[in-house]
Amino acid sequence: MRIILMLIKKEFLQVFRSPLLLSILIVAPMVQFLLFPFTADYEVKVLHIAFIDNDHSSVSRSIIQKFTSSQYFINHGNPASKAEAEYMMLRDEIDFIIEFPKDLEKNLMSQQKSSIAIMANAINSVKAGIGTSYIQNMLSEFLQRESEYKDLSENTLSQLFTTNIYWYNEKMNYKNLIVPGILVILVTLIGAYVTALNIVREKEIGTIEQINVTPIRKWQFLLGKMIPFWILGMSEFLMGIGLMYLVFDITVQGSLPILLGITSIYLLVMLGLGFFISSVAENQLQAMFIVFFLFILFVLLSGLFTPTEGMPHWAAYINYFNPMSFYMDVIKMMVLKGSTIHDLRIQVISLSCMAIILNSAALFFYKENSR
Amino acid sequence: MQAIEIKQLNKSYRAIKAIENISFSVAEGELFGLVGPDGAGKSTIFNILATLLKPDAGEVSVLGLDLIKDYLKIRRKIGYLPGIFSLYPDLTVEENLRFFAVMYKSSIKENMKLIRPLWDQLSAFKKRPAGKLSGGMKQKLALCCALIHKPELLFLDEPTTGVDPVSRKEFWDILNSIQTQNITVLVSTPYMDEASRCNRIALIQNGGIIKIETPQQIVLDFEGELFSMETSEIFHLLAIMEKCRLNCNYYPYGNHLHIAFYGNKAELLTEFIQFLDEQHIIYKNLEAINPSIEDCFIELINKKAHA
Repeated sequence: MRIILMLIKKEFLQVFRSPLLLSILIVAPMVQFLLFPFTADYEVKVLHIAFIDNDHSSVSRSIIQKFTSSQYFINHGNPASKAEAEYMMLRDEIDFIIEFPKDLEKNLMSQQKSSIAIMANAINSVKAGIGTSYIQNMLSEFLQRESEYKDLSENTLSQLFTTNIYWYNEKMNYKNLIVPGILVILVTLIGAYVTALNIVREKEIGTIEQINVTPIRKWQFLLGKMIPFWILGMSEFLMGIGLMYLVFDITVQGSLPILLGITSIYLLVMLGLGFFISSVAENQLQAMFIVFFLFILFVLLSGLFTPTEGMPHWAAYINYFNPMSFYMDVIKMMVLKGSTIHDLRIQVISLSCMAIILNSAALFFYKENSR
Repeated sequence: MQAIEIKQLNKSYRAIKAIENISFSVAEGELFGLVGPDGAGKSTIFNILATLLKPDAGEVSVLGLDLIKDYLKIRRKIGYLPGIFSLYPDLTVEENLRFFAVMYKSSIKENMKLIRPLWDQLSAFKKRPAGKLSGGMKQKLALCCALIHKPELLFLDEPTTGVDPVSRKEFWDILNSIQTQNITVLVSTPYMDEASRCNRIALIQNGGIIKIETPQQIVLDFEGELFSMETSEIFHLLAIMEKCRLNCNYYPYGNHLHIAFYGNKAELLTEFIQFLDEQHIIYKNLEAINPSIEDCFIELINKKAHA
């Protein structure tokens, strides 16, 4: 017991004496919380458009008028030719080109078919997708009202309007999705990165050899690493919860103690992963690469940026081995939806199994004798 | 009982044989030195004896215990100072010492008597991070940490490499005083001049032992007649020495040239002086000297090469 307490004390002394590590631990969550949610934003606020008007009719002019008066669109005028409009798009001045065909008004009046071209700059795929549907909506709304005005006999009540309500995130506020995700990233980084690098550093500077010739057992050594980093990880998490409330006014909808409980299981998974990597890697560079590779894989598959529901089947199978994906579910469901432990039993069981397997593997592979 | 007994020890790293058929034993209370150049296999022997490395073949017993089966018992009874400084550089002198005391379930107070001569010098830097100490002080601290549990056997892998001459002498004085506390010491060094401070030394080269003897006996066993001389044309002389068909060994030794003659000393010396005059070599202080351990080591290597 005295040995483990001493190991923990040593670890904290080192953390608090390393200005870099300490500032990473404090500054990293701040920066992530204050920067990331505002930049990783899928909301489309302003669309820049230009019109190619081949019709020069009252209809085309009133459509342009409608777009210009909308706060979402900024009209960049009517370029004389298509080539000029495309050049504007090339220079990234506009996101969309709307082209009216020659006989738009005439065709409309005579109930004939007519098509309006919408050209989108698809470099920003989100903007292109969302913008196109905005424009389509506005056009159909306009044409509908136009036809109502022209032909009152048509039964307007039979028209079906669809409106969307987003549950658990009513305003479809992207921050509500990103911010809990950052919590996950924080805990993961502390767990895997800091632990792996810490142990590999001991290998590099040779202190692990000095530890290995002492009669302490490897479980004592691992416990002496695990407890301090677990404490650090939990403090980071609590700090994250605090920032989430202070900056974004997001409170945990579910039970906080249960969330903390699941978080500590997830931390054990990540600590075990860190240990395991440190027993495989020979230097900090190797450890960095392995953690980095896994981290990117975990994040992309976790559903932070793209929903897991949209992934192909095989990706879902890979996700059975992705602890971050389970934990991302837990965080989103507990923070936003207020799920109970019963709803999350699969995630909790999976994470617990991973924690046990990874830590046993680390204990098995950690060598008291080298080579 | 012997403190260390090694029989036919072998260890390879993949295709490279680090040590080959090494056998020696160290008596209790002995100060035993492993002397040899870098890469001779000294650190491998230490790593095996300190239970960090498993041997490929051979019998090893440390303090009468089996190396593989009783490694935990051995760890309790030995102190090990690795070849590279491996204490926590960001912990202070005092914190490092306390840390290792606890790891061995001991305390600084308990064994203060043993480390007193070292601690008296270190205590002025108690609050300094270990990484910021000078080379000599680092080694003293490392020795303190290796002694804090009063081991029966102490392994020191090149403890004076990179340490200034004054601190080196101090360090060896301390080792001699540790020996009087009934602690067996196995120490390695690439510095031949330090070897004379050991009770017995094993000369090691290319993973094998060339000779095990007391330093005094090794010097007495020197077979040739050793001369030393000074010349400003040392490299020119070395280049033309081939022409001098005398039964001798020659090698630069610091800024001197050492020549060991084998045979009739007076005759060989006269012929050598004649050769020097023929080649118009200007020299001074040509005189007979007593061989050092290094001279003996060179003679033994040459003998082995010609055998």
